[in-house]
Amino acid sequence: MTTAVQPYRVTPARVLRSEWHKLWTLRSTWITLVATGALTVGMGVGISAAYDGTGEGGLDPVMFVLLGTQFATVNLAVLGVLATAGEYSTGQIRATLTAVPRRLPVLWSKAAVLAAVAFPLCLWTNLLTFPLAQAFLSDTDQSAALGDPGVLRGLVGNAAALTLLAVMALGLGAVTRSVPVSLGVYIGLVMIVPELLRMLPYAVVDDAVRYFPAQALESATAARTGPEAASPTAALLALALWAAVSLAAAATTLRRRDV
Amino acid sequence: MITAQHLTKRYGDRTVVTDLTFTVRPGTVTGFLGPNGAGKSTTMRMILGLDTPTRGHATVGGRAYADHPAPLTEVGALLEARSVHPGRTAHQHLRALAHTHGIPRTRVDHVLGITGLTDVAHRRVKGFSLGMGQRLGIAAALLGDPATVVLDEPVNGLDPEGVLWIRTLLKSLAAEGRTVLVSSHLMSEMALTADHLVIIGRGRLLADTTVTDFVRDCGAGTVTVVTPDATALVRHLSAPGVTVTADAPGRLTVRGTDAEHIGRTAAAHAIPLFELTPGTASLEEAFMDLTRDSVDYSAAPEGAAA
Repeated sequence: MTTAVQPYRVTPARVLRSEWHKLWTLRSTWITLVATGALTVGMGVGISAAYDGTGEGGLDPVMFVLLGTQFATVNLAVLGVLATAGEYSTGQIRATLTAVPRRLPVLWSKAAVLAAVAFPLCLWTNLLTFPLAQAFLSDTDQSAALGDPGVLRGLVGNAAALTLLAVMALGLGAVTRSVPVSLGVYIGLVMIVPELLRMLPYAVVDDAVRYFPAQALESATAARTGPEAASPTAALLALALWAAVSLAAAATTLRRRDV
Repeated sequence: MITAQHLTKRYGDRTVVTDLTFTVRPGTVTGFLGPNGAGKSTTMRMILGLDTPTRGHATVGGRAYADHPAPLTEVGALLEARSVHPGRTAHQHLRALAHTHGIPRTRVDHVLGITGLTDVAHRRVKGFSLGMGQRLGIAAALLGDPATVVLDEPVNGLDPEGVLWIRTLLKSLAAEGRTVLVSSHLMSEMALTADHLVIIGRGRLLADTTVTDFVRDCGAGTVTVVTPDATALVRHLSAPGVTVTADAPGRLTVRGTDAEHIGRTAAAHAIPLFELTPGTASLEEAFMDLTRDSVDYSAAPEGAAA
């Protein structure tokens, strides 16, 4: 046993494979992903079917069709938080880090696996939702085609933005090690803090709020950039930065703190 | 081989492990004993790199645990009973660990077989009893066919059959030349399983000894005899395995036989006995004596509660 040549070895690819296996062997993953896709398609089609074509105008055609992705911002964040904080609440983390005591490959693999699942799911959902919803919108002010300026970019941008938000949530889960705390921080950061900050009478705060996660998600989704919004590229860069900072904090915590 | 060098762990101003130095050798079962809260689990977590020591360091097979390219083949560990996501099946859990090292599925099935979990392999861990959970933890520990096995309170929650299975397993692992460190707060359990003992209390090393020495030193299994005819009694008692020492003129300490046999022998040869006292210190009592000052939560004397 001790002297035998061992083919066994921890490699980044194997850790990735393990995390992939772990993601798909939990029921919560399937439920979250199916709910995300179904709610986006359902909301898009439902709202479009009910739309009487006399809206107040000014609604963005991609934003309108993808209203259901509001659920995805929460659903995919839950998936990210469960991947990290969920391991602490169940005790699984001790087994995981005993197998991979260098620790960081686990975090990178979790983030990579989440992104590799979330992005295609959101992209295909968006590409399915848009034509289905448009079938009900042909004679309204929301009528648009995939080839119209900004439409395809908005559908892809939305999928990328949601993926980055989920990765940010995954990092929060690894920092706080608690499912409820990390979801609280996430929801506060995405939904509550920007609204509070906007009440402050400083222009610089308004400028900064554009780059907050939910506002950046909107900018990345919209086919037409609004006057008060960041450009889609800047918005996606801001989201990438949010995700990177969250992962960096997660990496520091994971390396330094006892399990 | 596990070596701990001056291991110290502090949480805030509470020192859980203090300057602990010991070695666990291959080929024997080493019992890691101490009352609850003595720092056994913390020490084991430091050996596995889950907790970073405040001072000192621990190595396994000559290196820090995290520096091994295939850690699961170096050390297999059972830590707290549940280090498992309850939503996965036993098989899925072990597969997840196996993937990190490229361990094949056949090995997963093998350790499920060794631990008697084959029939429940595809059931979710959520529904497992405490004993099944322990067996799964042991299956995970054996997954990498490790040179060293570290088990934290493995008999907790096991039925008598399971306890017997653990004893046999530990002995066979040691017989295969592996290093086996097993913690317990029960001296009686360790006396049956371990060859070597590392005893700690309040995070400090109290004893690093063999079970044989500990048994001898604590005086269990001795009989004190006072007789005016010591020479004759010694002659009649002499047999393989029986040792007699004279503590004072006419006062003997006999090991390797019991009071009944001594009494009957004396009667058969008409040797008068003034005193015949079996040694009362049991292993458990000796262990409690040793750790008395280091028990965290001893029962308060009656009336102490306000």
